[in-house]
Amino acid sequence: MAEQRGTVGGPVLTAWFATPNLHTLDVYESLGGYAALRKVVTEMTAQQVIDEVKISGLRGRGGADFSTATKWSFVPKAHPGPKYIVVNADESEPGSAKDRYLMENSPHALIEGAAIAAFAIGGHQAWIYIRGEYDLPYELLRDAIAQAHEKGYLGEHPFGSDHPLDVRLYRGHGAYICGEETALLESLEGKRAQPRSRPPFPAVKGAWGMPTAVNNVETLSTVPWIIRHGGAEYAKRGTEKAKGTRMVTVSGDVRRPGNYEIEIGVTYRHIIEELAGGALPGRTLKVFWPGGSSAKVLPASMLDTSTDLDGLKALGTMGGSGGIIVMDDSHCMVKAAARLLRFYAHESCGKCTPCRVGTNWSVRTYERILANEGSEIELALLDRVSQGLQNGRCLCGLGDAAGWVIESTMRHFRDEYEEHCLHHACSVQGALAHA
Amino acid sequence: MSALSAHVLDEIKALPARYPQPRSAVMPALDLAQEELGHLTSEAMTEVAGALQLDPGYVQGVATFYTLFHLEPVGQHRFYMCTNLSCTLRGAEDIVEHLRGAIGVKAPGEVSGDGLFSYEEVECMGACEYAPMLRLDHRYHYDLTREKIDHLVAERRSPRADAVSESGPEKPKRAPRRRAPKQDG
Repeated sequence: MAEQRGTVGGPVLTAWFATPNLHTLDVYESLGGYAALRKVVTEMTAQQVIDEVKISGLRGRGGADFSTATKWSFVPKAHPGPKYIVVNADESEPGSAKDRYLMENSPHALIEGAAIAAFAIGGHQAWIYIRGEYDLPYELLRDAIAQAHEKGYLGEHPFGSDHPLDVRLYRGHGAYICGEETALLESLEGKRAQPRSRPPFPAVKGAWGMPTAVNNVETLSTVPWIIRHGGAEYAKRGTEKAKGTRMVTVSGDVRRPGNYEIEIGVTYRHIIEELAGGALPGRTLKVFWPGGSSAKVLPASMLDTSTDLDGLKALGTMGGSGGIIVMDDSHCMVKAAARLLRFYAHESCGKCTPCRVGTNWSVRTYERILANEGSEIELALLDRVSQGLQNGRCLCGLGDAAGWVIESTMRHFRDEYEEHCLHHACSVQGALAHA
Repeated sequence: MSALSAHVLDEIKALPARYPQPRSAVMPALDLAQEELGHLTSEAMTEVAGALQLDPGYVQGVATFYTLFHLEPVGQHRFYMCTNLSCTLRGAEDIVEHLRGAIGVKAPGEVSGDGLFSYEEVECMGACEYAPMLRLDHRYHYDLTREKIDHLVAERRSPRADAVSESGPEKPKRAPRRRAPKQDG
């Protein structure tokens, strides 16, 4: 069995993770699990739930960082038909593995949070759209949902109330684009996963044409804690503008890769050097991606950047899904960028021309550069293609993300690009030989 | 002669009732077809379309979009090797090279002579803290080394009853290969 890496007993999300068999209902309940759902359906109104989450300041942890309470309040209360919560469990952002970690350790927290969210929007069903490769989390969630039904925590009369609640599972089948909320909804409806034009927004016309709030796994897994302890208690953590805690995944060239629950506002130096143990023996940290491969890369000289919104925005990057990829001085920046562009080209859904063409054009340009066929023309071309991919030219953020990889790596490591393109050489040799 | 057995077609016909709109059943239905045949043939996709009262071209359009649907024969044991950045930084390329030799294939998608193995190089599978990693037979395997690859291959060439595979924190034993989509939705 693999060892559990990272946090095993943090302040909020992972507070119970050191307890064996937390994935079973009995253990989860013995610690206080499902008390929040019981309280919600027997003592609270939907508006009170939204208000409590609003006090907490909780923001979406899938990458968009939007107020969870506000998102729920956008779902029209008077809509006569079904309304849905859709859980985005299609975690696919390179560098991010925290949703898998949460679902494997505490599937009932997600189920409880999803059911509370369904109640808060005046709905009765939550659908967890989980990536197809996540076999173990899928099985744990499937079993946990069955357990919750058997105990009467889900169903027609949860905890004896008259507000039916159900949580259902739907498997994805391998497409990064499904992490984009409207593409996910298309996939849930049995279509190719391509983003929708907006408006209408999902809150008005979402899953199966009905009002829908799409929330991330981590976001909803936090909600039971907020109901149990109160929004004000949650808001004591974090910074003035970014409340609470969040999960980060640290991977790449560090001594202790893992998932860690951090209080928002700590620095990347704290996460990378203290929690994850810093650089590998004999190596020096070179760069880190602060929020998955889609976040603009930062050089190690910026390790003191705060994890709050302002710190990241000031540098033109983002915390994204919390996936921190660390790379040391043994690796070439151009090869790393080429590897990431291959990913974006592979995962482009093909709907928007700038993304479909731009990502593939970039890959071919990088191939020429790495085959020692580059020149000033390739440098200029990457600049141009990067700009063509960005600034909202596509329906979703995939194009922007691909453009940011090129732009941020060229901005901070122009010398390595010039070495490849103008001198057909690479002074950095590492594991990215075939990138 | 039908590509899919009668009981699988019956299961597929029962799927639409589980979703607010019947078309949502298309992927679970393709799952069932693939579980039975190993990969999706044109005939199977046409039969899925018939069972769900959808256009065959539409069903094929869905199947070709998602990487977990296979349109060509695959090995009995299929390695999904992550080669995205976190895994590559930790030596995934060397592991892929070794895997090729261990299972006797030269390229992704190629099936070994004995039909036992094939592999794919895939993008991030969400276990970056355990890089390099892969997925095999519905389970993740972490912190790969050449020795671990040799062990996984040998284990599947000569399966033992007491063989234990790595799968993350201790949890219930996995379900049989044949999943149960009827519990979805």
